[in-house]
Amino acid sequence: MRIGIVNPYALDVPGGVQLHVRDLAEHFIGQGHHVRVLAPADEDAVLPDYVDPAGKAVPVPYNGSVARLLFGPVTAARVGRWIDRGEFDVLHVHEPFSPSVSMLAMMAAEGPVVGTFHSSTMRSRVLLTFMPLLEPHLEKLSGRIAVSREALGTIQRHEGAADAVIVPNGVNVDRFAQAPVAAQWQGNEERPTIAFLGRLEEPRKGLAVLLDAMPRLLAARPGLRLLVAGPGDPAEALRHTSAEVVAACEFLGMVSDLDKARLLRSVDAYVAPNIGGESFGIILVEAMSAGAPVIASDLPSFRDVLDGGPAGVTFRTGDAADLAATVLSVLDDRQRRDELSALGSVRARDFDWSRVAADVLDVYETCRAAHPEPVHTASTNRSRRMLRGRG
Amino acid sequence: MRLFAWTAFVVAVLALLAWYLSYTAARLDRLHARVEGSVASLDAQLVRRAEVVRELAGAGVLDPASALLLADAAGASLEASDAADLKEEVREDGIGVARTATESALTQTLRATLTSDVVVQLRDEEDGLPELLDLLRSAGQRVEIARRFHNEAVREVRRLRARPQVRFLGLAGHTHLPTPVEFDDRLPDGV
Repeated sequence: MRIGIVNPYALDVPGGVQLHVRDLAEHFIGQGHHVRVLAPADEDAVLPDYVDPAGKAVPVPYNGSVARLLFGPVTAARVGRWIDRGEFDVLHVHEPFSPSVSMLAMMAAEGPVVGTFHSSTMRSRVLLTFMPLLEPHLEKLSGRIAVSREALGTIQRHEGAADAVIVPNGVNVDRFAQAPVAAQWQGNEERPTIAFLGRLEEPRKGLAVLLDAMPRLLAARPGLRLLVAGPGDPAEALRHTSAEVVAACEFLGMVSDLDKARLLRSVDAYVAPNIGGESFGIILVEAMSAGAPVIASDLPSFRDVLDGGPAGVTFRTGDAADLAATVLSVLDDRQRRDELSALGSVRARDFDWSRVAADVLDVYETCRAAHPEPVHTASTNRSRRMLRGRG
Repeated sequence: MRLFAWTAFVVAVLALLAWYLSYTAARLDRLHARVEGSVASLDAQLVRRAEVVRELAGAGVLDPASALLLADAAGASLEASDAADLKEEVREDGIGVARTATESALTQTLRATLTSDVVVQLRDEEDGLPELLDLLRSAGQRVEIARRFHNEAVREVRRLRARPQVRFLGLAGHTHLPTPVEFDDRLPDGV
């Protein structure tokens, strides 16, 4: 099958959508499909050979932070040419709500177009104002995928009644399950280790909640080590903590994919203290794949990933005392940890790429059956078609 | 001069109105085409599922009673699809009530015969049976997806056609108002 995938965000900035697009494309290529990915990137950037650069992304303030997006008439024309050149059987646009190449591709394309909605953190008011203008274009999507029930909720908040097929984000489970254990991160009875992964300065990742819980944890287990991986300034994060807590924290900075897997393979528990804004929680799946017992805040998306309970333990979101009690109950019970690890490994298989990519392919095939002709643009007689509402 | 200005204004308003109406009509046209596509896809996925079930029934590994029940339900589904083709009912009216009953019946037969124990047994068989089960899973999933996408397209047509300007001006012409398709399409557990 000839598959075109459009990714709205700059590829050189790490992010959930970018990783998802990369893994999905590589999985389909491995199966023998023809895949092209369109993404914002410099012409001379070093890219995987299946990526077509759409031009340099521009940093613009959007949705409460600075996003690197790509738009404008030149880009729109380029996107249109890419679609026509590609002769795709299916066009798959990611985050069609974000004002970047995905939205432009959705507007230009006709035929079997699939949209995947990732986010649950959209600032609704701006978008709601624009919905009447976007609506005719969203109607062109022949199939929609939401990565979680939270993401489906985002669609419904903007469009009212709407439906989508839920296909979760994928993980290469074996890459985590087979990573070598790292002795320096392994815990023992005296000095157990717990891990946190995420941007230090992003409040919704919840590092502050975990640090608030640290004095209680250290009172019960003085040898506890907290391993923190992720970009950010440790001094800033530790500003209001005691010397005792500072001594128990080890900052690893940004880690490679391999080190991330080794870290998760080695620790006694993985803690996800996020306080909101997560539509999926891929990191929980990665931790489960590596066999790390997962202790997470009880956000709806996290509870869904943990299969409603058995595959991990949850505590009240934002509650440091509950977090501390929960972590201690897991660290004190060897058998419980082994159980959690085993159940987590089984649950993680539901998110393995082999399964997820097959589900996405089912969506493609369904949409192709509805539109047997390849994707094309309405660029011929463009002005006349615009006038008639087919722009 | 004032008369000229007023005339120009009225002409502009009328032109804008005409553009808006033709824009909406084109949008409706596109949505109707999408519904035709999605119902054709649903029809195709139903046929595919019935064919996989028939193959499973004929594979000679299930007990004869289960095989007979499955073959019967799959046959009914394929017949319903053939009948729909003859009447061109699929494109015009979507999937009719009688057909949804047939498809629900096939789903229920699948759930009754392929219990989780049976599925576990079949997974251990050789001769391409695990592959056949995977095909069944994929076919069942595509039915689910196709029905969702179809109902989504139907909802969007109905939303636009509910607008007063579309209703009173008859922008939808004589096109049949599509209705959502409801039937039981849950896969058996464990497949």
